[in-house]
Amino acid sequence: MGAPIAALKRWLARLRVAAAVTVGQLRHHRLRLGLAIVGIALAVLSMTLLAGVGMGVLETGEQQFEAADRDLWVTTGETRLTTAGGGGFENVLSDSRNVSAEMESHEDVSTAAPLAFETVYVGTDPDDDFQTFVGTGVPGSGSVVQISEGEDLSGDPHYADGSYDGERTNEVLIDEETARALDVEVGETVHVGGSLAAARNTEATVVGISPTFEQMLGAPTVVMPLSELHQTTSTTHTEPATFITLTLEDGADTDAVQSDLQETYPEYEIRSNQEQLEAVLQEQALVLAAGGALVVLSLGVGIALSYTLLTLVVFQQRTAVAALTAQGVSSSLLVASIVGQGLAIGLVGGLLGVALTPPAVDLLNRLAAAVVGFDGLVQTDPRFLVGAFVVAIGIGTIAAALAGWRLSRTPPLEHL
Amino acid sequence: MSPSSPVASASADDEASTSDAAGSPPVVRATDVTKRYTRGSEPGRLGKLLGRSEPPRVSALENVSIAIEAGEIVGLAGPSGSGKSTLLHLLAGLELPTGGTVTFQGTDLETLSRRRRTRLRLEHVGIVFQHFHLLESLSARANVALPLVELGVGKRERRRRATQLLERMGLGDRIDHRPGELSGGEQQRVAIARALVTDPTLVVADEPTGELDTETGRRILDEFERIAEDRAVVLASHDRPTLEIADRLVRLKDGTVREDGHR
Repeated sequence: MGAPIAALKRWLARLRVAAAVTVGQLRHHRLRLGLAIVGIALAVLSMTLLAGVGMGVLETGEQQFEAADRDLWVTTGETRLTTAGGGGFENVLSDSRNVSAEMESHEDVSTAAPLAFETVYVGTDPDDDFQTFVGTGVPGSGSVVQISEGEDLSGDPHYADGSYDGERTNEVLIDEETARALDVEVGETVHVGGSLAAARNTEATVVGISPTFEQMLGAPTVVMPLSELHQTTSTTHTEPATFITLTLEDGADTDAVQSDLQETYPEYEIRSNQEQLEAVLQEQALVLAAGGALVVLSLGVGIALSYTLLTLVVFQQRTAVAALTAQGVSSSLLVASIVGQGLAIGLVGGLLGVALTPPAVDLLNRLAAAVVGFDGLVQTDPRFLVGAFVVAIGIGTIAAALAGWRLSRTPPLEHL
Repeated sequence: MSPSSPVASASADDEASTSDAAGSPPVVRATDVTKRYTRGSEPGRLGKLLGRSEPPRVSALENVSIAIEAGEIVGLAGPSGSGKSTLLHLLAGLELPTGGTVTFQGTDLETLSRRRRTRLRLEHVGIVFQHFHLLESLSARANVALPLVELGVGKRERRRRATQLLERMGLGDRIDHRPGELSGGEQQRVAIARALVTDPTLVVADEPTGELDTETGRRILDEFERIAEDRAVVLASHDRPTLEIADRLVRLKDGTVREDGHR
């Protein structure tokens, strides 16, 4: 019984000495310690921010779909993003007016509104250059957009039950980024059209500022009555839309209505907000691949950086370790001391990285809001913070242990 | 402190086979020792397929035999590349010969695992390097006491022995200083104290005065003369004053012993 206790005591004594050596090494090499901690903190930051961007993209999309205040989305299958012009979605749902009217006749559907996205040319002077924006067509009925300044569109009288001979409103809503790009304010006039010629000949008044579609698409937009968009893009004969959005009556069972409509209109895809977002993203294989690569990259970067740093910290002590090995100091004592350093650097660097994440996220979000108009693009999730912290400590310790073990196994004369 | 056998678990047969017929074996004996190094790395399978040739092998020692007794100071002399350091490393158990045997108090080092050779060095061999190789972050006393941790010596006893040795080295007022706060001579004396703290049977030193001025070097050599009373000391050096303290001088050239005589 006495022998195991004596062995335990010897081990405890060795651990105490290993800890003392660890503290001594860390305190003595302060610059190296500081740089290693900063390096680990940056590795943690890269992990949390990259993962936060991936999550933010999904969450922002979800929020925008929720913010659209629609219960169901109707499409004809694919809802592809297009790079043409200012961007947006391809319009593949034809005869959208009639389809909307039919769906609106369902007893649980309050409003059915077709939304179309087309590239339009916009400028302030017909003789100057024009810029392309995503022109968004909205129907006259049902609240579709949020207004942050000025007024909503007054309606869509030009449609006139499909005759397109009603009076044009010549009203547009723009978002703040479009306002900056064109240097216009509410009440001023712009030229807008589906072609340069049409734009030069069509004046419209900016009646309000709306962030709704800029946030949804991540691109500057010009919102106008649907009939006027169809006319200026010469698509009145097909009346295409990207979506038909349905708002249900209060108390209606969304799942039941979705199922009922899907049965009645099998040629269309009828989805909830979440399903629609997923459908949009799933069809964007490249976007998803890039997002997935970001997450994998974040983890890879964190692991590689942590491993390299700790290996370097250990490698810098190779001569001291070799000298002690030559003197007969065992591998276990040296490895314990080195693991202690890895653990300490991983712990402090990890904590620093976690502490720096919220302000870094805030900064990135301010930048994203200013540049692309998305709010809360980068998200913080406690799971990411914990994960990055665990990687910092885990990889820091493992890297130090491996490097220390390899160093202790290397013939000491190689380093002396 | 040193047990009679360097490795407690070495078999009696092993010891008998290597013991000196006249009585106790020498502290360390090298018999027909050859050491060859490979210059560069061996070709792998792919390298062989691609026709990469075997790297050249360089002979550092050829059939060297030497036995060193307790109480002896042996000087290893010779020009650079003559094999002094290689022989020193083999005698200290830092590496193994390519051919021949090195026995430490009768035990063939080749029969020991890497771990047991490390333990043998801890208990029986003190090593002094030209560049001291002290841990910069630890005080002089902590550096000296560190090997004792491995031997399970208690903290109080470790401090007492380290302090005593440092005082003996004339560093009583420097025990809490870190290596960076000590002169080269002081650091070398700390390194000698570290080599002696386990009361080794053999002390080896490679160019122990190579980094020191003449006066400081002289004082370090005095230390070696003092510690040699009850143990074997092997010094490898180019330096004439260093070799002058040796009782016996072994001259090496091109990896072979050219002269081995008492002074």
